[in-house]
Amino acid sequence: MVIRIAAVGDVHLDEDVVGRFRPALEELPDCADVLLLAGDLTRHGTESEARCVAQEFGDLGVPVITVLGNHDHQCDEVPQVVKVLEDAGITVLEGTGVVLECAGGRLGVAGAKGFGGGFAGRCASDFGEPEMKAFVQTTKDSADSLGAALRGLDCDVLVALTHYSPVPDTLAGEPLEIYPFLGCYQLGQAIDSAPTALALHGHAHHGSERGTTPGGVRVRNVAHPVIKQAYSIFHLGDHLD
Amino acid sequence: MTGHHGDAPPDEYVEAEIQSMLAEDPDVAEQGITVVRRERGLVLYGEVESPHRREEILRRVAERFPDLPVTSDIGVIRTQAPTQVEELP
Repeated sequence: MVIRIAAVGDVHLDEDVVGRFRPALEELPDCADVLLLAGDLTRHGTESEARCVAQEFGDLGVPVITVLGNHDHQCDEVPQVVKVLEDAGITVLEGTGVVLECAGGRLGVAGAKGFGGGFAGRCASDFGEPEMKAFVQTTKDSADSLGAALRGLDCDVLVALTHYSPVPDTLAGEPLEIYPFLGCYQLGQAIDSAPTALALHGHAHHGSERGTTPGGVRVRNVAHPVIKQAYSIFHLGDHLD
Repeated sequence: MTGHHGDAPPDEYVEAEIQSMLAEDPDVAEQGITVVRRERGLVLYGEVESPHRREEILRRVAERFPDLPVTSDIGVIRTQAPTQVEELP
Protein backbone atom coordinates (compact mmCIF):
# COMPACT_ATOMS: atom_id res chain seq x y z
CA MET A 1 0.00 0.00 0.00
CA VAL A 2 1.58 3.25 -1.14
CA ILE A 3 0.22 6.75 -1.17
CA ARG A 4 2.12 9.14 -3.43
CA ILE A 5 2.26 12.76 -2.33
CA ALA A 6 3.65 15.63 -4.37
CA ALA A 7 4.34 18.86 -2.50
CA VAL A 8 5.78 22.34 -2.93
CA GLY A 9 5.42 25.65 -1.11
CA ASP A 10 6.34 29.29 -1.63
CA VAL A 11 5.75 29.45 -5.36
CA HIS A 12 4.83 33.16 -5.08
CA LEU A 13 2.89 33.33 -8.32
CA ASP A 14 2.11 36.40 -10.33
CA GLU A 15 1.76 36.87 -14.08
CA ASP A 16 5.53 36.70 -14.61
CA VAL A 17 5.67 33.14 -13.25
CA VAL A 18 2.59 31.61 -14.89
CA GLY A 19 3.57 28.67 -17.09
CA ARG A 20 6.95 27.95 -15.44
CA PHE A 21 5.62 25.05 -13.31
CA ARG A 22 3.11 23.73 -15.78
CA PRO A 23 5.30 21.35 -17.84
CA ALA A 24 6.36 19.51 -14.66
CA LEU A 25 2.82 19.63 -13.25
CA GLU A 26 1.47 17.90 -16.35
CA GLU A 27 3.39 14.79 -15.25
CA LEU A 28 1.60 14.59 -11.89
CA PRO A 29 -1.20 12.14 -12.78
CA ASP A 30 1.50 9.55 -13.59
CA CYS A 31 3.48 9.96 -10.39
CA ALA A 32 1.26 11.30 -7.56
CA ASP A 33 -2.14 10.81 -5.95
CA VAL A 34 -2.34 14.38 -4.68
CA LEU A 35 -0.50 17.71 -4.78
CA LEU A 36 -0.10 19.59 -1.50
CA LEU A 37 0.79 23.31 -1.55
CA ALA A 38 2.43 24.66 1.62
CA GLY A 39 1.30 28.29 1.38
CA ASP A 40 2.68 31.51 -0.10
CA LEU A 41 1.00 30.74 -3.38
CA THR A 42 1.03 34.43 -4.29
CA ARG A 43 3.27 37.47 -3.84
CA HIS A 44 0.75 39.78 -2.14
CA GLY A 45 -2.45 37.77 -1.76
CA THR A 46 -4.48 39.59 -4.39
CA GLU A 47 -7.43 38.15 -6.27
CA SER A 48 -5.61 38.57 -9.59
CA GLU A 49 -2.57 36.65 -8.29
CA ALA A 50 -4.92 33.94 -7.03
CA ARG A 51 -6.20 33.64 -10.59
CA CYS A 52 -2.61 32.98 -11.69
CA VAL A 53 -2.45 30.20 -9.09
CA ALA A 54 -5.74 28.78 -10.34
CA GLN A 55 -4.43 28.82 -13.90
CA GLU A 56 -1.13 27.16 -12.98
CA PHE A 57 -2.40 24.61 -10.43
CA GLY A 58 -5.96 24.01 -11.63
CA ASP A 59 -7.09 21.05 -13.80
CA LEU A 60 -4.04 18.94 -13.02
CA GLY A 61 -5.76 15.57 -13.00
CA VAL A 62 -4.95 15.05 -9.30
CA PRO A 63 -6.57 16.69 -6.26
CA VAL A 64 -4.80 19.85 -5.08
CA ILE A 65 -4.89 20.81 -1.39
CA THR A 66 -3.38 23.96 0.05
CA VAL A 67 -2.94 26.17 3.07
CA LEU A 68 -2.31 29.88 2.74
CA GLY A 69 0.92 31.61 3.76
CA ASN A 70 1.79 35.02 5.14
CA HIS A 71 2.18 36.48 1.63
CA ASP A 72 -1.35 35.35 0.81
CA HIS A 73 -2.59 37.60 3.63
CA GLN A 74 -0.69 40.75 2.63
CA CYS A 75 -3.54 42.58 0.83
CA ASP A 76 -6.35 41.47 3.17
CA GLU A 77 -8.15 39.73 0.33
CA VAL A 78 -8.20 36.24 1.87
CA PRO A 79 -11.90 35.52 1.20
CA GLN A 80 -11.50 36.48 -2.46
CA VAL A 81 -8.28 34.46 -2.78
CA VAL A 82 -9.92 31.40 -1.21
CA LYS A 83 -12.93 31.71 -3.51
CA VAL A 84 -10.80 31.89 -6.65
CA LEU A 85 -8.82 28.83 -5.54
CA GLU A 86 -11.90 26.83 -4.57
CA ASP A 87 -13.64 27.73 -7.83
CA ALA A 88 -10.62 26.16 -9.55
CA GLY A 89 -11.13 22.97 -7.54
CA ILE A 90 -8.30 23.60 -5.07
CA THR A 91 -9.14 22.67 -1.46
CA VAL A 92 -8.03 25.35 1.02
CA LEU A 93 -7.42 24.17 4.59
CA GLU A 94 -7.31 26.37 7.69
CA GLY A 95 -7.76 24.41 10.88
CA THR A 96 -9.62 21.85 8.80
CA GLY A 97 -8.96 18.52 7.14
CA VAL A 98 -10.00 16.33 4.26
CA VAL A 99 -9.83 12.60 3.49
CA LEU A 100 -9.06 11.38 -0.02
CA GLU A 101 -9.65 7.87 -1.32
CA CYS A 102 -6.40 6.90 -3.03
CA ALA A 103 -5.44 3.60 -4.63
CA GLY A 104 -3.13 2.95 -1.68
CA GLY A 105 -5.67 3.79 1.02
CA ARG A 106 -7.41 6.73 2.66
CA LEU A 107 -5.17 9.78 2.91
CA GLY A 108 -6.08 12.35 5.55
CA VAL A 109 -4.65 15.85 5.23
CA ALA A 110 -5.13 18.44 7.96
CA GLY A 111 -3.78 21.92 7.47
CA ALA A 112 -3.36 25.37 8.92
CA LYS A 113 -1.16 28.31 8.05
CA GLY A 114 0.39 28.28 11.49
CA PHE A 115 2.33 31.22 12.88
CA GLY A 116 5.63 32.25 14.43
CA GLY A 117 6.50 32.27 18.12
CA GLY A 118 9.71 30.29 18.37
CA PHE A 119 10.79 27.00 19.77
CA ALA A 120 11.03 25.48 23.23
CA GLY A 121 13.10 27.64 25.57
CA ARG A 122 13.52 30.38 22.97
CA CYS A 123 10.00 31.50 22.32
CA ALA A 124 7.55 34.32 22.86
CA SER A 125 5.42 34.19 26.02
CA ASP A 126 1.80 35.09 26.61
CA PHE A 127 2.80 37.92 28.92
CA GLY A 128 3.11 41.69 28.97
CA GLU A 129 1.73 44.05 26.37
CA PRO A 130 -1.57 43.29 24.62
CA GLU A 131 0.32 43.12 21.31
CA MET A 132 2.55 40.34 22.61
CA LYS A 133 -0.39 38.46 24.10
CA ALA A 134 -2.24 38.75 20.79
CA PHE A 135 0.83 37.43 18.94
CA VAL A 136 1.15 34.37 21.16
CA GLN A 137 -2.60 33.76 21.19
CA THR A 138 -2.52 33.65 17.39
CA THR A 139 0.21 31.01 17.63
CA LYS A 140 -1.77 28.94 20.12
CA ASP A 141 -5.07 29.22 18.24
CA SER A 142 -3.49 28.12 15.00
CA ALA A 143 -1.76 25.13 16.58
CA ASP A 144 -4.91 24.15 18.49
CA SER A 145 -6.96 24.19 15.30
CA LEU A 146 -4.35 22.07 13.50
CA GLY A 147 -4.27 19.54 16.34
CA ALA A 148 -8.06 19.26 16.43
CA ALA A 149 -8.21 18.82 12.65
CA LEU A 150 -5.53 16.11 12.72
CA ARG A 151 -7.22 14.19 15.54
CA GLY A 152 -10.59 14.44 13.83
CA LEU A 153 -9.65 12.59 10.64
CA ASP A 154 -10.44 8.90 10.11
CA CYS A 155 -7.90 7.64 7.58
CA ASP A 156 -5.06 5.18 6.90
CA VAL A 157 -2.27 7.74 6.46
CA LEU A 158 -2.30 11.16 8.10
CA VAL A 159 -0.38 14.20 6.81
CA ALA A 160 -0.07 17.66 8.38
CA LEU A 161 0.27 20.65 6.06
CA THR A 162 1.38 24.07 7.32
CA HIS A 163 3.16 27.14 6.04
CA TYR A 164 5.15 27.92 9.20
CA SER A 165 7.56 25.30 10.50
CA PRO A 166 6.71 22.98 13.41
CA VAL A 167 10.37 22.26 14.22
CA PRO A 168 13.70 24.12 14.18
CA ASP A 169 15.45 21.26 12.32
CA THR A 170 14.20 22.36 8.90
CA LEU A 171 15.22 25.97 9.54
CA ALA A 172 18.93 25.10 9.55
CA GLY A 173 20.54 27.62 7.20
CA GLU A 174 18.35 30.52 8.34
CA PRO A 175 19.77 33.05 10.83
CA LEU A 176 19.03 31.86 14.37
CA GLU A 177 17.73 35.34 15.22
CA ILE A 178 14.71 34.96 12.92
CA TYR A 179 13.61 31.45 13.99
CA PRO A 180 10.73 32.89 16.07
CA PHE A 181 9.33 34.41 12.86
CA LEU A 182 9.58 31.13 10.97
CA GLY A 183 7.65 28.72 13.15
CA CYS A 184 6.68 27.57 16.61
CA TYR A 185 6.91 24.47 18.77
CA GLN A 186 3.15 24.44 19.34
CA LEU A 187 2.65 23.24 15.73
CA GLY A 188 4.97 20.31 16.47
CA GLN A 189 3.02 19.57 19.62
CA ALA A 190 -0.21 19.55 17.58
CA ILE A 191 1.34 17.20 15.01
CA ASP A 192 2.52 14.88 17.78
CA SER A 193 -0.98 14.80 19.30
CA ALA A 194 -2.20 12.63 16.40
CA PRO A 195 -0.81 9.58 14.55
CA THR A 196 0.73 11.83 11.90
CA ALA A 197 2.94 10.12 9.31
CA LEU A 198 4.43 13.22 7.69
CA ALA A 199 4.42 16.99 8.24
CA LEU A 200 5.05 19.35 5.34
CA HIS A 201 5.74 23.07 5.54
CA GLY A 202 7.33 25.97 3.66
CA HIS A 203 8.19 29.58 4.59
CA ALA A 204 11.90 29.05 5.36
CA HIS A 205 13.57 29.79 2.01
CA HIS A 206 17.09 29.33 3.36
CA GLY A 207 16.20 26.34 5.53
CA SER A 208 16.85 22.67 4.94
CA GLU A 209 14.73 19.74 3.86
CA ARG A 210 14.55 17.26 6.71
CA GLY A 211 13.68 17.13 10.37
CA THR A 212 11.56 15.33 12.94
CA THR A 213 9.23 16.45 15.69
CA PRO A 214 10.04 15.57 19.31
CA GLY A 215 7.50 12.76 18.89
CA GLY A 216 9.36 11.33 15.89
CA VAL A 217 7.11 12.54 13.06
CA ARG A 218 9.06 13.21 9.87
CA VAL A 219 9.03 16.84 8.79
CA ARG A 220 9.90 18.13 5.34
CA ASN A 221 10.43 21.75 4.30
CA VAL A 222 9.10 21.87 0.74
CA ALA A 223 9.65 25.59 0.12
CA HIS A 224 10.48 25.94 -3.56
CA PRO A 225 13.87 27.63 -2.94
CA VAL A 226 14.79 24.67 -0.71
CA ILE A 227 13.73 21.76 -2.95
CA LYS A 228 14.85 23.55 -6.16
CA GLN A 229 12.44 21.62 -8.36
CA ALA A 230 8.77 21.99 -9.28
CA TYR A 231 7.71 19.68 -6.43
CA SER A 232 8.99 16.81 -4.31
CA ILE A 233 7.39 13.39 -4.22
CA PHE A 234 7.00 11.26 -1.10
CA HIS A 235 5.83 7.64 -1.05
CA LEU A 236 4.08 6.85 2.21
CA GLY A 237 2.95 3.44 3.34
CA ASP A 238 4.04 0.01 4.42
CA HIS A 239 5.67 -0.89 1.11
CA LEU A 240 9.20 -1.02 2.50
CA ASP A 241 8.43 -2.91 5.72
CA MET B 1 21.58 59.24 9.60
CA THR B 2 21.08 56.35 7.24
CA GLY B 3 22.98 56.20 4.04
CA HIS B 4 26.10 55.45 2.14
CA HIS B 5 28.76 58.09 1.77
CA GLY B 6 31.57 58.12 -0.71
CA ASP B 7 33.99 55.21 -0.46
CA ALA B 8 32.96 54.22 3.07
CA PRO B 9 31.77 50.63 3.37
CA PRO B 10 27.99 50.38 3.76
CA ASP B 11 26.88 50.31 7.38
CA GLU B 12 24.25 48.09 8.95
CA TYR B 13 21.56 50.74 8.56
CA VAL B 14 22.02 50.45 4.81
CA GLU B 15 21.66 46.68 5.11
CA ALA B 16 18.51 47.08 7.23
CA GLU B 17 16.99 49.61 4.84
CA ILE B 18 17.56 47.39 1.82
CA GLN B 19 16.15 44.35 3.62
CA SER B 20 13.03 46.31 4.63
CA MET B 21 12.64 47.82 1.18
CA LEU B 22 12.81 44.43 -0.54
CA ALA B 23 10.25 42.93 1.85
CA GLU B 24 7.85 45.86 2.06
CA ASP B 25 7.95 47.42 -1.42
CA PRO B 26 4.85 46.01 -3.12
CA ASP B 27 6.72 45.78 -6.43
CA VAL B 28 9.32 43.50 -4.84
CA ALA B 29 7.89 41.70 -1.77
CA GLU B 30 10.92 39.43 -1.37
CA GLN B 31 11.88 38.17 2.07
CA GLY B 32 14.40 35.62 0.89
CA ILE B 33 17.20 37.94 -0.25
CA THR B 34 20.28 38.11 1.94
CA VAL B 35 22.30 41.34 2.01
CA VAL B 36 25.99 40.86 2.75
CA ARG B 37 28.15 43.92 3.51
CA ARG B 38 31.63 43.89 2.10
CA GLU B 39 34.48 46.36 2.27
CA ARG B 40 33.66 47.77 -1.15
CA GLY B 41 29.91 47.40 -1.40
CA LEU B 42 27.14 44.87 -1.08
CA VAL B 43 26.44 41.39 -2.33
CA LEU B 44 22.81 40.33 -2.73
CA TYR B 45 22.10 36.65 -2.82
CA GLY B 46 19.09 34.40 -2.75
CA GLU B 47 16.67 32.97 -5.26
CA VAL B 48 13.56 34.36 -6.93
CA GLU B 49 10.83 33.00 -9.18
CA SER B 50 11.58 34.97 -12.36
CA PRO B 51 14.32 36.98 -14.10
CA HIS B 52 12.00 40.00 -13.99
CA ARG B 53 11.96 39.90 -10.17
CA ARG B 54 15.75 39.77 -10.02
CA GLU B 55 16.01 42.81 -12.29
CA GLU B 56 13.46 44.68 -10.23
CA ILE B 57 15.41 44.04 -7.01
CA LEU B 58 18.63 45.35 -8.54
CA ARG B 59 16.86 48.35 -10.05
CA ARG B 60 15.32 49.34 -6.71
CA VAL B 61 18.59 49.04 -4.82
CA ALA B 62 20.47 51.04 -7.48
CA GLU B 63 17.76 53.70 -7.45
CA ARG B 64 17.94 54.12 -3.65
CA PHE B 65 21.76 53.87 -3.34
CA PRO B 66 23.13 55.03 -6.70
CA ASP B 67 26.76 55.25 -5.52
CA LEU B 68 26.88 51.88 -3.83
CA PRO B 69 28.62 49.06 -5.72
CA VAL B 70 26.26 46.07 -5.71
CA THR B 71 27.12 42.56 -6.80
CA SER B 72 24.21 40.27 -7.62
CA ASP B 73 24.26 36.57 -6.93
CA ILE B 74 20.51 36.08 -7.19
CA GLY B 75 19.37 32.97 -9.01
CA VAL B 76 16.07 31.96 -10.58
CA ILE B 77 14.72 28.77 -8.99
CA ARG B 78 14.51 25.78 -11.30
CA THR B 79 11.09 24.23 -11.99
CA GLN B 80 11.93 20.87 -13.51
CA ALA B 81 10.01 17.73 -12.49
CA PRO B 82 11.75 15.67 -9.80
CA THR B 83 13.85 12.72 -10.91
CA GLN B 84 13.75 10.93 -7.56
CA VAL B 85 11.17 10.01 -4.98
CA GLU B 86 11.63 9.90 -1.20
CA GLU B 87 10.38 6.60 0.19
CA LEU B 88 8.91 6.97 3.69
CA PRO B 89 7.87 3.58 5.05
